[in-house]
Amino acid sequence: MFAYYLHLALRSLGRNRVITALMVLAIAFGVGASMTTLTVLRTLSADPVPGKSHRLFNVQLDPRPASRSMPSTEPPEQLTRTDAEALIRAAKAERQVMMSGGNAAIEPTRADLAPFFADARWTTADFFVMFGAPFAAGTPWTAVDDERAARVVVITRELAEKLFGTIEIIGRSLRVDGTEMRIVGVLDTWRVNPHFYDLNTTVYGTGEQLFAPFSTSRELKLSRSGTTDCWENAPEPEALGAPCTWVQLWVELGSMSAVANYQDFLTSYSQDQRRAGRFEREPTIRLRSVVDWLAFKQVVPSDVRLQTWIALGFLIVCLINTIGLLLTKFLRRASEVGVRRALGASKREIFTQLLIEAAVVGLAGGLVGLLFTWIGLGMIRSQPTTYAALARLDLPMLGITIALAVVSSILAGVFPAWRGCQVSPSIQLKSP
Amino acid sequence: MLQMKEVSKVFRTATVETRALRALSLEVDEGQFVAITGPSGSGKTTFLNIAGLLEEFSSGTYMLDGVNVANLDDRARSRLRNEKIGFVFQGFNLIPDLNLFDNVDVPLRYRGMTSGDRRKRIEAALDRVGLAKRMRHFPAELSGGQQQRVAIARAIAGDPKLLLADEPTGNLDSEMAREVMNLLEELNSQGTVLVIVTHDPAIASRAPRNVHIVDGVAADVERKPAAGATTTAS
Amino acid sequence: MHLHPILSTLRRHRTASALIVLEIAVTCAIVSNTVFLVQERLSRMNNSSGVVEDELIVVQLTGIGEKPDAAAATEVDLSALRSIPGVRHVATSNMVPFGNSSWNTSISTIPDDPNTVNSAMYFGSQDLLEVMGLQVTAGRDFAPEEYVTLDDVQSKKAQAPAVIITRGLANRLFPDKPPIGQPLYVLGKNPQTVVGVIEHLARPNEGTGRENAAYAIVLPLLAPYTVTGNYVLRADAKQASQVLTSVDTTLNRIDRGRVIMGRKPFAEIRREYFSQDRSLALLLTGVSIALLVVTAMGIVGLASFWVQQRTRQIGIRRALGASRGDILRYFLLENFILATIGIVLGMALSYGINLWLMKAYQVARLPGTVLPIGAALLWLVGQLAVLGPALRATKISPAIATRAT
Repeated sequence: MFAYYLHLALRSLGRNRVITALMVLAIAFGVGASMTTLTVLRTLSADPVPGKSHRLFNVQLDPRPASRSMPSTEPPEQLTRTDAEALIRAAKAERQVMMSGGNAAIEPTRADLAPFFADARWTTADFFVMFGAPFAAGTPWTAVDDERAARVVVITRELAEKLFGTIEIIGRSLRVDGTEMRIVGVLDTWRVNPHFYDLNTTVYGTGEQLFAPFSTSRELKLSRSGTTDCWENAPEPEALGAPCTWVQLWVELGSMSAVANYQDFLTSYSQDQRRAGRFEREPTIRLRSVVDWLAFKQVVPSDVRLQTWIALGFLIVCLINTIGLLLTKFLRRASEVGVRRALGASKREIFTQLLIEAAVVGLAGGLVGLLFTWIGLGMIRSQPTTYAALARLDLPMLGITIALAVVSSILAGVFPAWRGCQVSPSIQLKSP
Repeated sequence: MLQMKEVSKVFRTATVETRALRALSLEVDEGQFVAITGPSGSGKTTFLNIAGLLEEFSSGTYMLDGVNVANLDDRARSRLRNEKIGFVFQGFNLIPDLNLFDNVDVPLRYRGMTSGDRRKRIEAALDRVGLAKRMRHFPAELSGGQQQRVAIARAIAGDPKLLLADEPTGNLDSEMAREVMNLLEELNSQGTVLVIVTHDPAIASRAPRNVHIVDGVAADVERKPAAGATTTAS
Repeated sequence: MHLHPILSTLRRHRTASALIVLEIAVTCAIVSNTVFLVQERLSRMNNSSGVVEDELIVVQLTGIGEKPDAAAATEVDLSALRSIPGVRHVATSNMVPFGNSSWNTSISTIPDDPNTVNSAMYFGSQDLLEVMGLQVTAGRDFAPEEYVTLDDVQSKKAQAPAVIITRGLANRLFPDKPPIGQPLYVLGKNPQTVVGVIEHLARPNEGTGRENAAYAIVLPLLAPYTVTGNYVLRADAKQASQVLTSVDTTLNRIDRGRVIMGRKPFAEIRREYFSQDRSLALLLTGVSIALLVVTAMGIVGLASFWVQQRTRQIGIRRALGASRGDILRYFLLENFILATIGIVLGMALSYGINLWLMKAYQVARLPGTVLPIGAALLWLVGQLAVLGPALRATKISPAIATRAT
């Protein structure tokens, strides 16, 4: 029976080409607009470290003086260098990493390359394992390198190929800000979007190209990027003991109890600091998982959310439109329905037939909508915003597009089909 | 086959109440050929609609082939209509989008038969009306008489016990009308109950039994010997 | 043309009429809001920077490694740049309006005031005001002896004695007294004296909210390019493109060991800064047009159906003496009535959506001026959409009335 209804639907759609085209286009428009924005929204709210996002936590403490009437409900988003180094030394989590963004001036040995800047990250050894950075060659540096402020770097495949034309460069030297550094590892292509571990340097983008020990960057006074907040005039915000927050600290905790233990540890650390006179406020700590952190920082641009709402509104208009067009289409067929009813079709059978016709319209609308989505995403990608390049259609979204079109057109078809099958057979039996 | 007892039908609008049928009683037995006549507005069409289960009635009882139809829901009524009744309309009521084969297929589709069974029945029905060779044609490509023959093929494809016809020759010229009437009579002679609603005295005279409906009440007409009556037997 | 027959027909086609009205209402509500959002973005894009935009070129550069003689090197650079033909003034500046990268500070009118005002803080070299084309409209410019180096201030060897503020900031800090001569706590415990007021100088970004956008100060601090990162050139607007091409060679002749990260006319900085606003405005405009097209398609579909359904009725009307114009007007008026009901509902819905947007996305209140635009658009779209089917209706022959059914 389904095949028969399908056959009838195709035949009927072929008959009123203009109305059919209007309906298909309307659904395609609505679905295309919705899916374009939903794809962007989904891309932007994607999990940056799949599988680990619930194990990684951002640490916040409140080292600010009590005197200034700064809001006390939320501690600063970053740590002072003093606290970060203390927490790293305490090593109370499975893994812990401290870091800051930076700029590395690179002086290539190749004569045809002028000196240039690369985005860098000054961090500690656990960074790579903790965030799942894949190595194409070599290994991370070690905790000993961190302690000794060793002159070592890890660079990306992209940078390696730009500088040397190969990734077989472990042990070779790279001149960074006038200092020779030994290359210990080359990272394979690795995109972290959103750039959750430091949202001050970039939110969506290509990420860092060079990584070196935090201790080394401080010893060499390598340049830093990101946000610094000081509550007192500080000639050297980066110095140990400076009244400034600028370091990010992330910890890996494997279980609920580990999280609770670490929270207790942070509270008692804050109390100790308060007793020692370094902290002045009641201990205020935050331990946010990646997901909570992204939600707290509202990383998805509000423009994108706004666009999504507008697109959904658009879809609603398209559906109202489809309801109207289906209604006219089905009512036009009143005489055919009357004959079918007289020949023994029950209301339910007519209803099913009309609903399948609506679904076929939806399927066609979905296919055209897919094309519109593809065009829409192409337009988004051509925009200069940083996240634009990430918006791509993947297989699940493709399926959702078609499903959205079919489901919404079936919903739009319910009322017209109900009206269409109410045709009383008796009044249609007179000659046309 | 068909028993109506004091069936009435009242149409109500906000202001007016119209009585289309008033306590109509009628019995039609197996194998009968009945012509229903009456002036315009007398309730002929309402009777036909009720008899064909196209319309519900207000009061009274109606037994169709032993089934009391008064309390059936839409599905059961549709099923009954599909299996027991064939319709032939004045305006043919073929579906213009479908070819002859698919038109005859329509009632069979709602019966859930296998495609092989349907094909056999459709071909047999079209063969019966002499149009088997044209089953890929569309209604618009046929003459009026041919279209009505297709409608008859559609009506009989499902082997109904009862054929209801509403002015089946009203839109046809006399040559075609005769052809169609011969076909209907032939079906009747093979056992199908035939009920024809008509204005046409020539057709009425061909029927062994005439029922006259006036003001929503049916009454059998005593047959006067008429010239046409003898042809029925042929 | 009488309304009565139209209204009675619409009453008989309640469902279809309701659908059209609903579609027009939702479209009207969305379009009104998007028109408003587009207007807002466009007006933002026209925000004044306060500087002479068409004469400015901004060069961004960074040194590599330690540069002990940065101050002297800066002077060398500045005089070399000044000698490029077409260049009138050159300065180094720690930031530029709409440049995104910003230096901000908390300022107050009394020491240790908990309610500080966040303001952008411009400084660099002596002729910064001159280069940017900023006029001191009250008070005076800095005197040469008021300038101190940033180094000295940070190491507490010297203090900046004066500050120049924007009119917007002056109004915020000193609403009921003249700002000139007032003390302002900008850098630590010792105040700077307000010596001048400039009309407007936009911040590099609007990070802290819209009302803060006008808050900026200029300090008499001197800093080398290694700190400020920018050279700002004021050139003849006509010669700007030639100047642009000779910047790199001029600077590289002095010192090759630096990275020139960009050189662009101010117009480009503005374009980049507002690119997101522009793309949102474009997108919203596109969506609005698509919405109107879809609504028009719905109207075409339903109107065609009605015309077809009423073929006989129209033929009878024609037979009874209605002209083609009468038939056309009938359908146009019918659509106008439906559109009007839709628009009235849509307006109410617009305000509802706007209230929600105000809460969820800090959008401003919908101004009354947007509503006539939305209404006019939908009336227009409705009339255009119904025109095709209505014209088809006028072609129906009156002879149809005499034909049997």
